[in-house]
Amino acid sequence: MGLWLDSIVPVAANWISHAHSDHSRGGHGRILASPETIRFLRLREDEQILAGSVIEPMECDAPVSLPSGAVITAKPAAHITGARQLLVEFGGERLLYTGDIKLQKPLLGAETEIVPCDHLIIESTFGLPVYRFLTCEQAAERIVRFARECLSEGSIPVFLGYPLGRGQEIVYTLCRAGIPTAVHGAIARLIPAHEESGYQFCGWEPYDAANMPGKAHVVTPGFRNTLEASGKPVRIAYVSGWAAVDNARARSGAEELIPYSDHAGFQELLDIVDGSGARRVDVVHGYTETFARILRERRNIDARAAMVGVHVEDD
Amino acid sequence: MDALAEACERVASHAGRLAKVAALAEYFRTLESDEDLRRAVQFLLGRPAAMAPAVSNLFETVEAPKLALGYAVIRDALRAASGWDDETLRVCHREVGDGGETVGLIMAPFTAGEPMSLERAEQLYLQLHAMRRADARVRMMTEIFRTYRPLTLKYFIKAIGNSFRIGLQEKMVEEAVAAATGKSAAAVRAANNRLGDLAAVAIAARHDQLDSIEARLFHPMDFMLAKPLEDGAAPPEGVEWYVEEKYDGVRAQAHCDHGAVAIFSRGMEDVSKSYPELVSALGRVPGSAILDGEILAWRDGRALSFTMLQQRLARKKLTEAMQVSIPVVFMGYDVLYRDGGLTLDQTLEERRAMLEAAVNDAASDRVLLSPQAKLADVAEIPARYEAARENGNEGLLLKRAGSLYEPGKRGGAWLKVKRAFATLDVVITAAEQGHGKRATVLSDYTFAVRSGDQYLNIGKAYSGLTDAEIREMTKVLRDIAIGRYSRVLLVKPQQVLEVGFDGIQKSPRHKSGYALRFPRILRWRTDKRAEDCDTIERVQELYQSSLNLTPNRVGDDA
Repeated sequence: MGLWLDSIVPVAANWISHAHSDHSRGGHGRILASPETIRFLRLREDEQILAGSVIEPMECDAPVSLPSGAVITAKPAAHITGARQLLVEFGGERLLYTGDIKLQKPLLGAETEIVPCDHLIIESTFGLPVYRFLTCEQAAERIVRFARECLSEGSIPVFLGYPLGRGQEIVYTLCRAGIPTAVHGAIARLIPAHEESGYQFCGWEPYDAANMPGKAHVVTPGFRNTLEASGKPVRIAYVSGWAAVDNARARSGAEELIPYSDHAGFQELLDIVDGSGARRVDVVHGYTETFARILRERRNIDARAAMVGVHVEDD
Repeated sequence: MDALAEACERVASHAGRLAKVAALAEYFRTLESDEDLRRAVQFLLGRPAAMAPAVSNLFETVEAPKLALGYAVIRDALRAASGWDDETLRVCHREVGDGGETVGLIMAPFTAGEPMSLERAEQLYLQLHAMRRADARVRMMTEIFRTYRPLTLKYFIKAIGNSFRIGLQEKMVEEAVAAATGKSAAAVRAANNRLGDLAAVAIAARHDQLDSIEARLFHPMDFMLAKPLEDGAAPPEGVEWYVEEKYDGVRAQAHCDHGAVAIFSRGMEDVSKSYPELVSALGRVPGSAILDGEILAWRDGRALSFTMLQQRLARKKLTEAMQVSIPVVFMGYDVLYRDGGLTLDQTLEERRAMLEAAVNDAASDRVLLSPQAKLADVAEIPARYEAARENGNEGLLLKRAGSLYEPGKRGGAWLKVKRAFATLDVVITAAEQGHGKRATVLSDYTFAVRSGDQYLNIGKAYSGLTDAEIREMTKVLRDIAIGRYSRVLLVKPQQVLEVGFDGIQKSPRHKSGYALRFPRILRWRTDKRAEDCDTIERVQELYQSSLNLTPNRVGDDA
């Protein structure tokens, strides 16, 4: 039998690295994931992901033996709260699947542990040398500065962030700075699950169309049109890895770009590869061909672009 | 230069026009020396290479140096300075969509981060400009990339390409100069119109000397432009209009001063050398004047087709035989300056009287007056339009009674009435990503007509679809992609567009053997299949009929 990694089609046994929907679909026989990821999956509105599956929560650094004799161990990954890497040891070989990951410290969630391995499966969402991101301290400073600047000139700062992860990081940052903050929809709905992980979110309130002035707003990108159409003096900031390039203005409709990501920038990816000592690397997501070629040519590593939905043959 | 780059970033990060102007004005106030103010303004107008002292007098106009630096030089220098291979740089450039920005992002880990003053930036431009050899330029550019700050490099390169993409227009720079110097925007704009040199105007404004700026001859001014009137629409009511035929030639500005003449194009280039007979004819205009008009190939009292004029312009060396076989005239439209003073603020009627006098005094059959009539009733427009087309002209130009000459403006005081020559249903065969705002979508389409069961390319169009349509088209085209050739995505011939265009020519550039003039997309014909698109036979018919529109042709193969 085999274990699948972030399979998006139903399989007998699936490891879910984190709760973003492009990595977690339902219908599997068994689901292995971190307890926090399982908590987020229970809150997902779109489908009953966990229904009918055997759920196996995995704590960090607690090895689990599979019937085939392989041993799997969850390792911390900086991405969103609950994200984990997975180490698979079998027949004296170590394989590491990063899931989505970054190396810099995140605003929320664990820090990445670099795990030595023989075979690395790594993502390359931002696997081009033009992508370089702010540290979490710099990002927090820019978020707070933009909010204060807008509020002091009488406009309404609006931050665009994804519903799970980025959105709560922005809310958390604004709350810690004592800035009145209104939060929209799914971002607000997932705040309590973050509080269960020990983060304090003080003083935010749900979005109220009739009562916007004087508050920073955190909304999902799809809600931008509604806010702009309201005719209120909104100024929009886009907090994302894509904000590292100016064409993000046209793509997102934001004027302020804050290049902060829950994915690794190019150099971070190289550092993860170098730190792992892996001799073989499979690259998934994003600029897979380019990043794999760079690893071959610059690191002399057996690297290739792979398809997502990786199946670990452990028997 | 570092501070200027930072100011540009602030301008880019504000969507509102007022905030952009305010950010720029704040920067201008920090500039202590007049020289730096001059450099900053020139830089922002994308004319860093105009920094060389421009010599201009009655008899000699020395053009400001232009620095034409292809992406190849930048790429080679970037490869050398960063160590990245061409393929990686190509993918990066494709994703970023802007050369200067790519340079800044790629070089960030590698530069020494030394400061660059505006003076230094100017020196670097002039040195690059003085270099003839590409390899020398690459070596110098490599050194520049290794030395200065990433953000500064980004704008240094953007200025060379004269493409900032930060949403800044010359008028906004004028307004920022006004705000920074405490003058009114109108006063700065008026002075800039007189002088055509905003950097010098900025210095004058700072020293409270705007009033002393006199209009200068032999210094091209912006042209007033006409706004298109939608097909079949009527011009606004309640005002009177004058009507002229709209000629299809090359718009030009003639500066005349007691026999000395220079002719400038819309691109502000001195094109006098291409029209020696007009230089001598315009030399007969008494006194001094700046005339706005159109250069036309002309024979037997009517304009020849634009294609004829193009044939003459295409020749590297203008022969006497060519001057005889394709004669040209200057068709006077307006007058901007007369005998020591600007006439921009005088009414259309007053300027027309001056223009008539100047043309009559020149008494040359090469300097003509565009016939003008008062429009008694907007109902006359269709008949007048047909008459203009019969005369081989493009359409009509309506000028509002009592209006002023507004350089650089496409306001409502001049309206052009023009219909697409014809339309064709064509099928998309390839697509390319655009630049800047359109860097992430497929916005440039190559299209074809049908020949039996084959599709032959006939042109390329960029404009006409909405942003939402372009996004949708991008998705559709990516799904039917059959290959990639560098930046160009080849697609199955499935998506049909209706394109309008102003003319048709024979051309070896496309497989069909024809090219369209000013093609633009009118609509996306989702109701049509590729088999339903127009055929090469239809194109041949249109080409034949276009020849009949321009009688009195010289030669056989226009």
